[in-house]
Amino acid sequence: MNLDQALPVFIEEGRALLQEMEEGLLGLEQTPDDPDILNAIFRAAHTIKGSAGLFGLDGIVSFTHVVENVLDRMRAGEILTQPDLTNLLLQSCDEISVLIDAAAAGSESDVDPTSNGVGLLHRLRAYLETSDASSDAGHLPAKAPPPVEVCGEAAVSGDCWRIVVDFGENVLRNGFDPASFIRYLCNLGEIVHLATKTERLPPAELMDPESCYLGFEIDFRSAADKQTIENVFEFVREDCHIRITPPPAFAEVAIERIEALKAEADKVGEILIEADAVTPREIEEALALQNEIDARTQRHPPMGEILVQEGMLQQPVVEAALEKQKKIRDAKIGESRFIRVDSGKLDQLINQVGELVIAGATASLLAQRTNDSELQEALSTILRLVEEVRGGALQLRMVQIGETFNRFNRIVRDVSKELGKDIELQISGAETELDKTVVEKIGDPLTHLVRNAIDHGIESTDRRVAAGKPAKGTVRLNAYHESSSIVIEVTDDGGGLNRDKILSKAIERGLVNAGQNLSEQEIYNLIFEPGFSTADTISNLSGRGVGMDVVRRNIEALRGMVEINSRQGQGSTVRIRLPLTLAIIDGFLVSVAGCSYVIPLEVVSECVELDEREQRHGCYVNLRGEVLPILNLREHFKIHGQTSRRQNIVVTHFGGQKAGLLVDELMGEFQTVIKPLGKLFGKVRGVSGFTILGSGEVALILDVLSLIQYAAGLEAQKAA
Amino acid sequence: MAKTILIVDDSASLRQVVSIALKGAGYDVVEARDGQDALTKLNGQRIHLIISDVNMPNMDGISFVREAKQLPAYKFTPVIMLTTESQESKMAEGKAAGAKAWVVKPFQPAQMLDAVSKLIAP
Repeated sequence: MNLDQALPVFIEEGRALLQEMEEGLLGLEQTPDDPDILNAIFRAAHTIKGSAGLFGLDGIVSFTHVVENVLDRMRAGEILTQPDLTNLLLQSCDEISVLIDAAAAGSESDVDPTSNGVGLLHRLRAYLETSDASSDAGHLPAKAPPPVEVCGEAAVSGDCWRIVVDFGENVLRNGFDPASFIRYLCNLGEIVHLATKTERLPPAELMDPESCYLGFEIDFRSAADKQTIENVFEFVREDCHIRITPPPAFAEVAIERIEALKAEADKVGEILIEADAVTPREIEEALALQNEIDARTQRHPPMGEILVQEGMLQQPVVEAALEKQKKIRDAKIGESRFIRVDSGKLDQLINQVGELVIAGATASLLAQRTNDSELQEALSTILRLVEEVRGGALQLRMVQIGETFNRFNRIVRDVSKELGKDIELQISGAETELDKTVVEKIGDPLTHLVRNAIDHGIESTDRRVAAGKPAKGTVRLNAYHESSSIVIEVTDDGGGLNRDKILSKAIERGLVNAGQNLSEQEIYNLIFEPGFSTADTISNLSGRGVGMDVVRRNIEALRGMVEINSRQGQGSTVRIRLPLTLAIIDGFLVSVAGCSYVIPLEVVSECVELDEREQRHGCYVNLRGEVLPILNLREHFKIHGQTSRRQNIVVTHFGGQKAGLLVDELMGEFQTVIKPLGKLFGKVRGVSGFTILGSGEVALILDVLSLIQYAAGLEAQKAA
Repeated sequence: MAKTILIVDDSASLRQVVSIALKGAGYDVVEARDGQDALTKLNGQRIHLIISDVNMPNMDGISFVREAKQLPAYKFTPVIMLTTESQESKMAEGKAAGAKAWVVKPFQPAQMLDAVSKLIAP
């Protein structure tokens, strides 16, 4: 069987689980020893181990195994949550992540822990050893009594089955020798400890020499499964009372088996039988008990409770089975609630829907020429439906931003710890949806912003206290929809931007002139200029002057915008505005000499008619007293043809600057699917893609930023 | 001294296979072809375990076990009944007669050894 195909699923699943673990561990810092969180973390580790095992990724299995053991002890309350341990476990998550990456890179079966991992293992084991010692100490008194005729409870040692068997009175009469069964048991394993139960022995005068009054408590070390052990007593089962309690280690195996089960059954008993955790006889017995209790007390105790009470099973195994039951039921109810789909298929669908929109527009254009009103009506219905289909198809690519936000819990924690600041991350709007491609690309710029907020934004604790603020700083991530964009805000309650410092720096760097009159907003947004950094010292995290301009470039590459607001002493807010999807564009359609162009609507701020009387001064016009540089598209694209009588200026804004594009005709807003340009046009500047209009005509989508930069570059060359 | 097992079945080949397996494990084996034959084999020697089929000519297994259990010397001797899955009622009858252990036919020699070794050592 070739598992390579399934490996990517494991990799993806593994990363998601690690994320869960990480979130859980961070959650523990808020509510230490919360059993729900501990369980969740444990399960995540457990699942990673289990799946890695399936793929033979032994490095991951052996490492995760140790992590899991530590978590198990935490879960059992044997180790308490402490910052050192949480740190260690977080580092272990990183290590597992490294191992998973290695597996993803294809070095499959021989992923060994890194040297870092070996160190981690050593430290993790330290937690296991101390606990071992203490639990051993607890067992000591139990080992001391003589092996035969032990009265009372002998402790079950870690890896032993506990078999309690009371032979029935008729056993001897039936020709059976209790000792022979015990002897046979030795074929399956090792009897570690055996105590004879004598409480049923009657006084000598009442004793029937043919009757059997014996019982045994046996600690039995064996690799056999429960059914096999039970089968030893097959012949005497009917008149014996037998309890076989699995060793604690068995619980782990049983849970693993339960989780791996591909069962249809949704009864706890059936699940447990299928996972070999209990035998059918035990379930029968438990069912009988259940009915008996029901009849006696009118209470219907759950199967799991009986199994645990009777010592047939440990609580965690029952819990795992209950969870499985829930999963199976959920799966049955909502079998189609979630489907994992290759994102390539979605892209293809969206592309096809885009074609459909264009073909529909062509058809509608043709229909209008025929003057056939019925045809037009039918087509308009089709077009409406196509629009809906397109909306639906785009919706498929939408994912919640929450997952991206949650990653920052870790970053905020690590960075603030490194800097010795006490900072809390607040997240809101996690359910806001946006396109998957956008989500993937927004991670880096957001990381920059959050780090900046922690490093430069939030002041040191002393300064905060001195300023009368709470000692704990807050960084807030927020997301919401606004018209057809998503807005993401990174807010800190730190000291805010220092207006004068920025200005003097900008002047020093030659970004602005000393005499220039700038609004507060404009000054703040200077920090997005290339090569700008006001941090006096360069820290490990930020302050190298890269960062903010990279952030802006990344965001603008996504057709988004970024701006910053700040209030001295109260903090700053960086606001990112992004289109909901990259596959579709809200455009503004213009034409120059009969050729159509689409300008992304988000950069268009207004349109004005070119006033013929107010002749242009070279490349500038006077826009309500403001100097507006303009670019004549006709000249720029070297289009020949009649200049129309009236010309219009589309005023665009980008990165806090404005420029006008001179066009002939304004044709209005236009939503369309972006098609990438072929390789041949890959290097053409000023054009980011194209689209096909209803008429079948191709319209280029303008990349205004690079267009203006290019034009400015030419201008500068000319001037020089 | 090795323990002796009496195997009662009308099939000579079955007797032989079981006999070889048991002897290999260190038991002594006595064979009988039906209930009548078996009863005579019980006399004059010490038998530690009886393995008996149910359906046999002359005297069937259940009658044989019932009679054997009446003998003082064999009151506590374990009996393994050879049953088939479909013989639920026969199995109950056998148990009532005193055959409390069973091996379901068809069986592998190892299964027979397993059942025997639960009851007596060689």
